[in-house]
Amino acid sequence: MMWSVITRKELKDAVRDRRALMALLLFPVLGPAMIYFMFNMIIDIAEEAGDVSLPVVGAAYADDLVDYLEQNGILIEEVTLDADPVYSGEFYSQAALDEIHTAIRNRRFDYLLVIPRDFDDLVSQSRTANIELHLESTRAKSAPKAGRVQELIRGWGQETAALRLIARGVSPDVINPVSIVRIDVASQQSRVQSILGIVPFFVIMAAFICGMGVAVDVTAGERERKSLESLLVNPVPRYTIVIGKWMAAVLFSAVGLVLVMVLNFFSLSQVPLEEVGIVFTIGRLEIIGVLVTVLPLALLAPSIQIFVGIFARSFKDAQAYLSFFMMLPMAPFFYNMFNTQDREFWMNFVPMLGQHMLLADVVRGETPAIPDFVMAGLAALVYSLVFVYGASRLMKREGIIFS
Amino acid sequence: MIEVRHLTKQFKNIVAVEDASFSVRDGAITGLLGHNGAGKSTTLRILYGLLKANSGTALIDGIDVMASPLKAQAVIGVMTDAHGLNPRLTAREHIEYFARLRGMQRHQMTKRIDELVALLDMSDIADRRAEGFSQGEKMKVCLCRSLVHDPQNLIMDEPTNGLDVMTTRSVRSILQKLKAENKCILLSSHIMQEISALCDEIVVIAEGRVLMQGTLDDLAKKTGEGDLEEAFMQITRTA
Repeated sequence: MMWSVITRKELKDAVRDRRALMALLLFPVLGPAMIYFMFNMIIDIAEEAGDVSLPVVGAAYADDLVDYLEQNGILIEEVTLDADPVYSGEFYSQAALDEIHTAIRNRRFDYLLVIPRDFDDLVSQSRTANIELHLESTRAKSAPKAGRVQELIRGWGQETAALRLIARGVSPDVINPVSIVRIDVASQQSRVQSILGIVPFFVIMAAFICGMGVAVDVTAGERERKSLESLLVNPVPRYTIVIGKWMAAVLFSAVGLVLVMVLNFFSLSQVPLEEVGIVFTIGRLEIIGVLVTVLPLALLAPSIQIFVGIFARSFKDAQAYLSFFMMLPMAPFFYNMFNTQDREFWMNFVPMLGQHMLLADVVRGETPAIPDFVMAGLAALVYSLVFVYGASRLMKREGIIFS
Repeated sequence: MIEVRHLTKQFKNIVAVEDASFSVRDGAITGLLGHNGAGKSTTLRILYGLLKANSGTALIDGIDVMASPLKAQAVIGVMTDAHGLNPRLTAREHIEYFARLRGMQRHQMTKRIDELVALLDMSDIADRRAEGFSQGEKMKVCLCRSLVHDPQNLIMDEPTNGLDVMTTRSVRSILQKLKAENKCILLSSHIMQEISALCDEIVVIAEGRVLMQGTLDDLAKKTGEGDLEEAFMQITRTA
């Protein structure tokens, strides 16, 4: 096959081009690494929110409150201050304050609750007791915990207030004209789902990024080197030349796609997803499904880049045009972000939108219908052939060959 | 054997070649002589099938270039004026690439390339990457790949442009050898010395028109000038 002569030569050249190889290897590693870290962060936060431990100074002075906190799943950790071991109850003794703050700054504690010695007395006299929550608000880990503790203390306060009112024959409703119940539908699970939604985005981007260096080099690069004219002097049809060059870029793009998928699945399998209640099993069928979905993109993306590359006079020119085309893979991502409609059959014919939705289905663990697969794949194939045909036509233009 | 009949090529509003006719015979070196911008490159580009003439015909070994460019390209070897090489491929890889594009088999190709490498005295650069090749080295690679399929017809655009004396001489001796093998050789140049040292036949071209075709003696007889430069000046002036 004559086109394979061209493909082999372009591949030999590309493999020797360190820049093209870097683009091929770097991008596929980036996405999965990001996903891995994001998941681990979410899981960390999820784990800690369920298991809040609270360092308390003077826990013995507020039995009732401490019981209430423990009943609500807080682990109380009694802390004795070196500066004030028996805790005199003087809040603002500078030595005690310093010790607390140093402990927080040194990350011995993320936060600390300080209860005064006269807490129970004040409460039983129906007065207001001041307790202090010392925290470092810029520390991301302490914020949700401190929030939870504050909420519980407020809850205890309201219960106590209600009891006081009832003791005086007043309905607690008097001081609660409105009561708000917050129901958070966004579980950890749905948060994880929204991150899984990035996976298709990275895969589609990989199709565009991994073959781009080669696609530009074999077209605009050839024009810039002034080697196009002598190539066209050989008795080889233009479409054969374009197909040969296209195939070299397709190979790079396909390798990038497979790499990004393997790494994505690997990084997902390394994350303890079951801890946040997600079942993500990847079987042979899913992998085949994803490959069938995305491989047509490895044909489409380079065909667009070859077309644009022939049009461009120089490497720089081509990169300027193609950075605009890089917006293309982002389009379906944003469309789906704001799209409230259900999936419709016509969407399969929109290049990349179809693949994006199929991938999203597969990642979510659903199996899309076979016609969707076939139509999206065929649509991508037809579009790439249109671009290859257009590129062959461009290569016949005298203004393109000589300029 | 190359036949050019009433060739005209127009770019937008510039007429680059106008009603040009000449012939190039086998077993001779024919020079297309003209100033820069006289239409030499355009004529050659039509002959090797990359430009379409507006009217007229060009025949190479009887094959109409405009009607079947691929067939015509199969029987010619071409050296374009741009000697662009791929910096990451070796000289041998460049030549192999073109040999394969011409459908040569490995055995035949390797033998032929070894021959050419010896002939052009380029064994020192054959397996080096083209990055940093001198003008002369690049030109040798280009000449090699235009000869790899042993074409009957050779078209060269300004082949000795910018070359040192040594390389120029080796190119000349190769052309003489090809001529002795009864090949048909057409080259363009604007350098009088080059043409008078090398060519059996001269086609004088100016402003896209062929003013005269003949041997050096024919030109001298017609103009009464013994020196090619003087003869050329006189022909182009009277036109």
